[in-house]
Amino acid sequence: MSGATTAVYLARRAAQKERVRILYRCALKDTLNWAVHRHIFYQDASDLREKFEANKHVEDLDTIDKMIAAGEATYDKWRHPDPYIVPWAPGGSKFTRNPFPPSGIEIVYDYGREEND
Amino acid sequence: MALRAAVLRHIRLPVQTLPAIGTRPQSQRSFLRLFSSHDDHLTKEEVIDRVLDVIKSFPKVDPSKVTPDVHFQKDLGLDSLDNVEIVMALEEEFKLEIPDKEADKIDSCNLAIVYIYNHPMAG
Repeated sequence: MSGATTAVYLARRAAQKERVRILYRCALKDTLNWAVHRHIFYQDASDLREKFEANKHVEDLDTIDKMIAAGEATYDKWRHPDPYIVPWAPGGSKFTRNPFPPSGIEIVYDYGREEND
Repeated sequence: MALRAAVLRHIRLPVQTLPAIGTRPQSQRSFLRLFSSHDDHLTKEEVIDRVLDVIKSFPKVDPSKVTPDVHFQKDLGLDSLDNVEIVMALEEEFKLEIPDKEADKIDSCNLAIVYIYNHPMAG
């Protein structure tokens, strides 16, 4: 392999690794959403980890791409309809509940008594 | 009603003068209740302690090797998937929601501590 294709190969592998990491993260959060109780979650999380570890040493770029696409399709199919989102994050219950007032607004402390000074 | 007033007249409570506010040490934060969720910030030691506790309780990690500037993959010998698991555990500990791109970049203890300390909503 010449130098250019190696760099391209490494760049593609790095992009694929990032996709795999993000997929694993989303799948783990989804597993926690479905399996609320910790003991069930630990079991399901180890099963998920086994699935990822089984394909760890695949080298061919196209096979890896196909596997990542299949994994993302499975994740989309199994997404929880009501995931747990931290309240202040977008999608949570407290998001934009108390927005910051626009700047320049301030409290007038002696409203109505300005003339009787 | 009159009996109550008579009893109250006879009870005397000693009046204590509290020390001046300026002399109270800063560490007495536990008496101060902060009602807004935007005012309560963690101190750096608390963040470091809690982050190290989370990492030490990870089953694949040797607790004696964990220091505040340890790299997950290089020093502790963890996998990239283990990295993802640690970041998720930190999210649960501090009640944060870290976006995926940011979470991917958290590779070492140092980065985690700095990120959590600078996050406005770190619980």
